[in-house]
Amino acid sequence: MSKYRKVIADPIFHNNPIALQILGICSALAVTTKLETAAVMSLAVIAVTAFSNLAVSIIRNHIPSSIRILVEMTIIASLVIIADQIIKAYAYDISKQLSIFVGLIITNCIVMGRAEAFALKNPPLVSFLDGIGNGVGYSLILLLVGFFRELLGSGKVFGISVLALNTEGGWYVPNGLFLLSPSAFFLIGFIIWALRAWYPEQVERD
Amino acid sequence: MPDDSIKKTVGVALGVCLVCSVLVSTAAVTLNAIQEENKKLDKIKNILLAGGLLSDGMEDIKAAYDEKVEPTLIELATGAIVSEENYDKVLNIEHFDLKAICSHSDYSDAISPKKDIANIKRRPRYMLVYSVKENGQTDKVILPVFGKGLWSTLFGFVALNKDMKTVAGFTFYEHGETPGLGGEIDNPRWKKMWLGKAAFNDAGEVVIEVLKGKVDNAGANANHQIDGLSGATLTTRGVDQLVKYWLSSDGYGPFLNKLRQEG
Amino acid sequence: MKFLRNFLDQQEKHFVKGGKFEPYYPVYEAIDTFLFTSGKVTQRDSHVRDALDLKRMMMTVVVALLPAVYMALYNTGLQANLALAKLGLAGVEGWRGSILSALGVGLNPASICDNIIHGTLYFLPAYIVTIAVGGFWEAIFATVRKHEINEGFLVTSLLFPLILPPNMPFWQMALGISFGVVIGKEIFGGVGMNILNPALTGRAFLFFAYPAQISGDAVWVAVDGFSRATPLAQFADPTMTIGVSWYDAFMGLIPGSMGETSALACLIGAFVLVVSGIGSWRIMLSVLVGMVALSSLLNVIGSESNPMFQMTPAWHFVLGGFAFGAIFMATDPVSAAMTESGKFVYGLLIGCLVVLVRVINPAFPEGMMLAILFGNAFAPIIDKIFIKRNIKRRLLRNA
Repeated sequence: MSKYRKVIADPIFHNNPIALQILGICSALAVTTKLETAAVMSLAVIAVTAFSNLAVSIIRNHIPSSIRILVEMTIIASLVIIADQIIKAYAYDISKQLSIFVGLIITNCIVMGRAEAFALKNPPLVSFLDGIGNGVGYSLILLLVGFFRELLGSGKVFGISVLALNTEGGWYVPNGLFLLSPSAFFLIGFIIWALRAWYPEQVERD
Repeated sequence: MPDDSIKKTVGVALGVCLVCSVLVSTAAVTLNAIQEENKKLDKIKNILLAGGLLSDGMEDIKAAYDEKVEPTLIELATGAIVSEENYDKVLNIEHFDLKAICSHSDYSDAISPKKDIANIKRRPRYMLVYSVKENGQTDKVILPVFGKGLWSTLFGFVALNKDMKTVAGFTFYEHGETPGLGGEIDNPRWKKMWLGKAAFNDAGEVVIEVLKGKVDNAGANANHQIDGLSGATLTTRGVDQLVKYWLSSDGYGPFLNKLRQEG
Repeated sequence: MKFLRNFLDQQEKHFVKGGKFEPYYPVYEAIDTFLFTSGKVTQRDSHVRDALDLKRMMMTVVVALLPAVYMALYNTGLQANLALAKLGLAGVEGWRGSILSALGVGLNPASICDNIIHGTLYFLPAYIVTIAVGGFWEAIFATVRKHEINEGFLVTSLLFPLILPPNMPFWQMALGISFGVVIGKEIFGGVGMNILNPALTGRAFLFFAYPAQISGDAVWVAVDGFSRATPLAQFADPTMTIGVSWYDAFMGLIPGSMGETSALACLIGAFVLVVSGIGSWRIMLSVLVGMVALSSLLNVIGSESNPMFQMTPAWHFVLGGFAFGAIFMATDPVSAAMTESGKFVYGLLIGCLVVLVRVINPAFPEGMMLAILFGNAFAPIIDKIFIKRNIKRRLLRNA
């Protein structure tokens, strides 16, 4: 049991795909102006990583190494299209805001990286859990960044006003920087700073 | 390790492709109907919003739309309604796509740079407008408008009251302006400023204008002026120009004249 | 004086190793060396001592900035008094008004004294806020990292209010300098390690975070409800006429950020910096050359829709933050290129970029801040290329 727990928990703090491996930054900048979009994107990534790991792991003993990458890409791309279709059908407003970024999960290094590095060598259940763990690790950062960007940039959390905006008669002057993508860089930087102050072994020595 | 024989390779590739294609196409086909429905609802929502017909917690948006709103296809130059026998693949109410029409040379014309104050390059010959009916009478018209802001083309609706003079609603449904500056065109407080402003004077000239700065509310012109967005000079100017363009004789002028004459 | 010295000496025992306030030694040291010459002397073998230590160097920059500070005081007051006269207002609202009437100072734009006092009431609080908040962060990082508070902050804290519009809310200034000091400097490891100029980083933060308070027409004159576009914005807008003469712009009698308006004051500062050898003439010159070259080229090309193409190099020089940026910001020894030939490339890059942002980009009438930050970001690469080239050449020579 502890092996399974480790597989899930490890990528959240100790080996976070964004904070330690610095993967998947592109979408972390693009979809985090609001928590809502960040949450939907997170769910999509968790689902895709988990199921692509599962699928790759199931057929891992039958994939010829010459077309290994192609097979993985096909599986991931199909899963992403399905996820995109589902979001378009059941969360249309959010899919409009996410625009192409759901489709771009295909290029998210986390998904491909886990399939290559983990699922090809491990049995299905563990691979599935590894996919969930890495997806959750990614989501955690996404949600944290989304929380601060939405709160400071538009005074809201999940679309609900928390800080009364001065444009609507309140006291809070929204910080426009947090609506622009570079702010996600700053926030991710702060998170990495905090994580490495907490776990000094994550600091790279050169 | 699995063997790398050609037979096995081709077999696995085919198998994976087959399974994946079945999954993808199943998802696409089964969800298509819901997606189309969503697209329609989204559009309807924006139209209702512009017409001021959307209230919070409205249950059945589609019913409200079907009950009150009537789409009409018009020819801009004459203001005449396009009759159904002239419909074709591109030109029909069901599949009217503004962007496709603007890029199609059969359905749109290039505008000379001098006249092109809204900076849209091509003017569609036809437009899909919406009238809001109240007890069988036209209560409002909702007119799609678009034009260039600072970074992007702004797409929106202007709604006019039945006097065909005062503004009944104003909203943008697509734009890419800077959040917090030009993006404030989405601010409900700003949109509210448009309500009741006179778009035309008694002589029928377009008088509405978005100022650079604040409107002097005591001034004689306050009834047709709207505050500019602070810090967003070019977006403000873009909005001003596009509204002027679309209400002028190059835009909906002929159509509005017709409506006024009718009554 | 003696009393102060004794007091500090008495307190020292609490701050040295083993004292009860040991972690706060940097704070003590900063106050001590700010007030008195350092008492430390070399006790072992002699080594080369240059009169030019970091403290003296920074003080020279402060001296070079004094004309700009003077113009900031004078012009901020002048613009405010002119605006009041134009609006027909007899008094100023708020605490500034109370102080002015308590001092019996008038609001006559023709009186130098009235203008300076009025301007001081805007500049001084901004400066105090900057010193207090920026100093707070400096002290925290110095304490945690156990080093002494660096004199570089003296310059940063003077530069920062000079590049802000006069009526910026204090809390925004505080946020701006915090961002500048922490993100622009401390996270890279403190003075000497930073890639970007801290004062400009702080301003860039404010520019993107609170654009309504640092761009547009309404913020450049310190009177509420009075809007007067900067001449740069007037150049950019075909419907406006340029409301100032070149001479006024050169002297600095135009609305703008507090210390940036006067090209003359900046030139005096440039003289001090170049003569004392502290500011790099290579950078100043090449920024100027880059700007003149690209703006002349654009003058020749011309454009029907964009009036900025017609702006001459002479106007580019006197408007916005060009002179101030080229002389005081681009030459910041930490964030600029360090190799001598690299400085030329770095300067040219900034000079061309500022014209590019001002003329081609429709959103920002002013581009000096962005151009310098961009130049800062490229400085390490430029240096690396020139160092590599030098190494290669020497290898070849000695091969």
